[in-house]
Amino acid sequence: MNVLLAVLWKDLLSEWRRRDRVLAMLLFSLLVVAVFHFALVGVSDAQLRASVPGLLWIAFLFASVLGFNRAFALELENDALSGLALAPADPGWIFLGKATANFLLLVVVQAVTAAVFGVAFDLALAPIALRLAGIVALGSVGLTLVGTLFAAVAVRTRYREVMLPLLMLPVLMPVLIGAVQATAALFGGEGVAAGSLRLLLVFDLVYLIVSFLIFEYVLDE
Amino acid sequence: MSGAAIAARGLAKRFGPVTALRDLDLDVERGSVLAVLGPNGAGKSTLLGLVAGLMRPTAGSLRVNGQEPRARTTRAAVGFIGHATFLYPDLTARENLRFAARLFGVPNPEARVEALLEDYDLARYGQRRAGTFSQGMAHRLSIARGLVHDPDIVLLDEPFAGLDRTAAARLGTRLREVRGGGRTVVLVTHDLARAAELADAAIVLSGGACVHHTGRGEFSPAALERAYLAAVDGAT
Repeated sequence: MNVLLAVLWKDLLSEWRRRDRVLAMLLFSLLVVAVFHFALVGVSDAQLRASVPGLLWIAFLFASVLGFNRAFALELENDALSGLALAPADPGWIFLGKATANFLLLVVVQAVTAAVFGVAFDLALAPIALRLAGIVALGSVGLTLVGTLFAAVAVRTRYREVMLPLLMLPVLMPVLIGAVQATAALFGGEGVAAGSLRLLLVFDLVYLIVSFLIFEYVLDE
Repeated sequence: MSGAAIAARGLAKRFGPVTALRDLDLDVERGSVLAVLGPNGAGKSTLLGLVAGLMRPTAGSLRVNGQEPRARTTRAAVGFIGHATFLYPDLTARENLRFAARLFGVPNPEARVEALLEDYDLARYGQRRAGTFSQGMAHRLSIARGLVHDPDIVLLDEPFAGLDRTAAARLGTRLREVRGGGRTVVLVTHDLARAAELADAAIVLSGGACVHHTGRGEFSPAALERAYLAAVDGAT
């Protein structure tokens, strides 16, 4: 647990000093909002409501790819990743420290993006804010676990910028389906389907356990 | 604790088709300083990586303090100071050491960090980011980082590389202090003079195999030089 907190502290402090990762993620996701804002001029309210959940998750997904790639690139400077691997602790705690930092940065980006989405598309988010936050959190846990794990795999490959999306996007399909369905039901005024939430929850739990256990092998040189 | 600090039997490491280390038998006595010499690509850094638990052997056995190198208790007893500094450029010197102390579960980390900054002449620069350090200062900070948990076994991978004469002399003094603390040290170097000065046992690797071994008490700088030069000539 101490190792988790140490890695989390180090990652957040580094990001606070640089701010390049969050800024790049924010810029990208806001660009997505702007592009779709102009692309969807003149569509009906119903069509808009049907499109927004998918657009929101596209913005979250691609912003997260940018952020996760950068998370382990930091560890390549001065071979700090090997320095981490020397720690006398279960490597799973190192993974959870990195994943928690990634999750918190993603949440900041998501909060800003969702607010701008609401304004740009004239959506009344306040009444559904808590339930939306719950769905986004469940989806983002899965997104972060898979993204952090595969970023660690991709970081030592030659084409890591390309490798990460190639590795993580197919695995993330259940998360994306569950998250988009749950968000669409929420925007559509229906109750959030328990099946979508169960899918997200099971995916999160499975990847939490799997990632914790296999990270030791990912760290191997 | 009795027995060798590091014991390898038939140790081998392959990276795909490349054999980096082959059939190595080695005993490093507790409290001794072993110099590991050899031309580039001889398998020196691979040996250190295996002892540090950064990679797994392809064949053979390796025990560090009588245990598997990747065991938590083994890792807690090993300090690795590599080619790279393992430092985070955005963190200050103090924060880098504090982070390493927390990773290794050092009791009373603040006092240990301040003591190390003092010992390595970095107290004045504690609040400066590591990314602004000269190579010599980064080296000193890197050594302090590797010793933050007061390890019994210290692994040094070419610590003199890239240092000017003054910085190298200062580092030599530091290493004599490390050696004086009764630690077991494995020193990978190309610098024969430094090896002769600091070590009391030596091996020469060439093409992943051990071609010369001088045990403690039979250390001969002249024989070591001959073996090293033969290995380098053979590799070129």
